[in-house]
Amino acid sequence: MESSPSAPAEDRHPGSSWAAEPVLSARGLVREFGPIRALDGVGFSLDAGQLMTVFGPNGAGKTTLLNVLAGGLKPSKGEVHLRGRPLETGDPEWHRRIGVLSHQSFLYGHLTPEENLCFYGRLFELPDLPRRVPERLEQVGLARRAKSRTRTLSRGMRQRLALARALLHDPEFILLDEPYTGLDAHAAAVLRGVLASLKDGRRTVILVTHNISQGLELADRVAIQARGRFVFLGNRSELNAGTFEQFYREKVEKVEEVG
Amino acid sequence: MGYLRQIGAIVWKDLVVELRTRERVVAMGGFAVLVGVLFNHAIDPTVVDPQAIASGLIWVTIVFGGLLGLGRTFHLEEEEGAFQGVLLSPIPRDALYLGKVLANFLLLSFVTLLVFGVFALFFGLRFGEHPVALAGVVFLGIVGFVAIGTLFSAISFRTSMGETLLPLLVFPLLIPIVIYGVTATSSLMAGLPASEVGGNLRMLGAFAVVALAAGAGLFRFVVED
Repeated sequence: MESSPSAPAEDRHPGSSWAAEPVLSARGLVREFGPIRALDGVGFSLDAGQLMTVFGPNGAGKTTLLNVLAGGLKPSKGEVHLRGRPLETGDPEWHRRIGVLSHQSFLYGHLTPEENLCFYGRLFELPDLPRRVPERLEQVGLARRAKSRTRTLSRGMRQRLALARALLHDPEFILLDEPYTGLDAHAAAVLRGVLASLKDGRRTVILVTHNISQGLELADRVAIQARGRFVFLGNRSELNAGTFEQFYREKVEKVEEVG
Repeated sequence: MGYLRQIGAIVWKDLVVELRTRERVVAMGGFAVLVGVLFNHAIDPTVVDPQAIASGLIWVTIVFGGLLGLGRTFHLEEEEGAFQGVLLSPIPRDALYLGKVLANFLLLSFVTLLVFGVFALFFGLRFGEHPVALAGVVFLGIVGFVAIGTLFSAISFRTSMGETLLPLLVFPLLIPIVIYGVTATSSLMAGLPASEVGGNLRMLGAFAVVALAAGAGLFRFVVED
C-alpha cells in the first residue's frame, strides 16, 4: 500500500491489462500558474467502468486536475488521452464525451431547471430533449420544480440539477468535484443513488472529495494528491477503510514536511 | 443545422435572461431617454437647429448607451460559473460569439428605435424621404458596433479592470462607424437622395463584415485558456 511521497506515485493498475488501451490516460501532467505549480507530474490511467476517487487537502491541485481533464485548462506539460484521442482545449468531440460537475453549478439562475437543461441540450445538439429533460429531472427528484426559477431552489436542489446537467448528454467520462458539498442527508442520498447508477460498466468516473467514507464507498481506484502530485495511487481493494484516514494523514503530512 | 441551433440556443438564453432581469435594456434605454431630456433642455432651438446636429447626437447616444449594455454581456454569465459550463460544451467558439453578437444586436436595435423615438419626440426631427436607406445605415452601423463591442466585452470581462476598460479599448475602433454613420444619417435627414450615401453604406458594410470575421476568428483566443 505504500508509495514514496517524495516521488509521484506510479500507476500500478494491477486489475487491468496494459495490452488493452485504457479509456482515459494522463501522463506527466504539469500545470503552472506563474510561479505556482498546481499540477506536478500527475499520471494515471483508467478503464471503462472504473471510478477513481481523488483525496487531498485544500490547495492540492485537485480542481486544477479536473479542469485540465475537462478540457477547460491547457496543461503546461504532459498529455491526456480519451480513448486514444489527445486532449485539445475547445475540442467539441472531447466535450461531447465528458460530463463535469464542478464547485459551481454552471446553471443560469433566471432560467428554470427545464430551461437550463434544454439550453445545454441544444448546445450538445441532443435530438430528444422533450423526452430526455423530464427523465433527468425525475432522476434527480426535481420534476415538481421543473418550472421554478433555478435561483429559488435550495443549494441541494441546485446541486442535483447540476448533476442532471452534467449527465444530460450521457457522457462516458464523468468528473465530479466535491459533489456532496452543502447537501443535506436526503439530497446526499439521492446523489449517492445517482452516482451508484453511473457504475454501469460503461462510464469512467473521477470523483474528488474530502469525505473519506463517501469517497471510498464507490471507488475502484483511489489517489491521494498533495502539492500537485499523486502521492498514492492504488486499487480500492488494497485499502482498509478503517485505517485509511490515518494512512491519508501520514501521506499528506510527509509531503508537507518534505515541501 | 446543428451550428445554427447552437447559435439559436445562445440567442434564446440571452434574450430570456434579459427579459427576466431587464438589466441591460433598462440601463441602455434609461440612458437614451436621459440624454434626450438633457439635450432637450441644453439646446436652444432658436440658436441651434436640432435637425442639423441630430445625427451626431443620435449616434453618440447609441454608442455610449450601447456600451453600457455590451459591457454587461459576459457579467450575466458570472453567476454560478455558467460561462465555464458553456465553454465545456461542444459549441464551436465562433458560434458562441455569433450567438452573443446576434443577441446584442437585437437588444441594441430595440434601444436604437427608442433613441430615434425619443429624439423625434423632443426635437420634432424629420428623418428624410429614404427610410430604407436610413435603416440600412443604422443596421450596418449597429452590426459593426456589436461585433467589436462583443469581442472586447469578452476581453475586458477577463481583466481586473472589467467594464472600465471596455470604452478605452472600443472607442478608437468605433471611429469609422461614427464617422460614416453620422455622415450618412446627416445626409439622409437633410433630404439628400439615397445614392449620396452609397459610399458610406459600403464602408459601413465592409467594416461590419471585417469586424464579424475578426471577432469570430479571434473569440476562441479570448475565452479559452
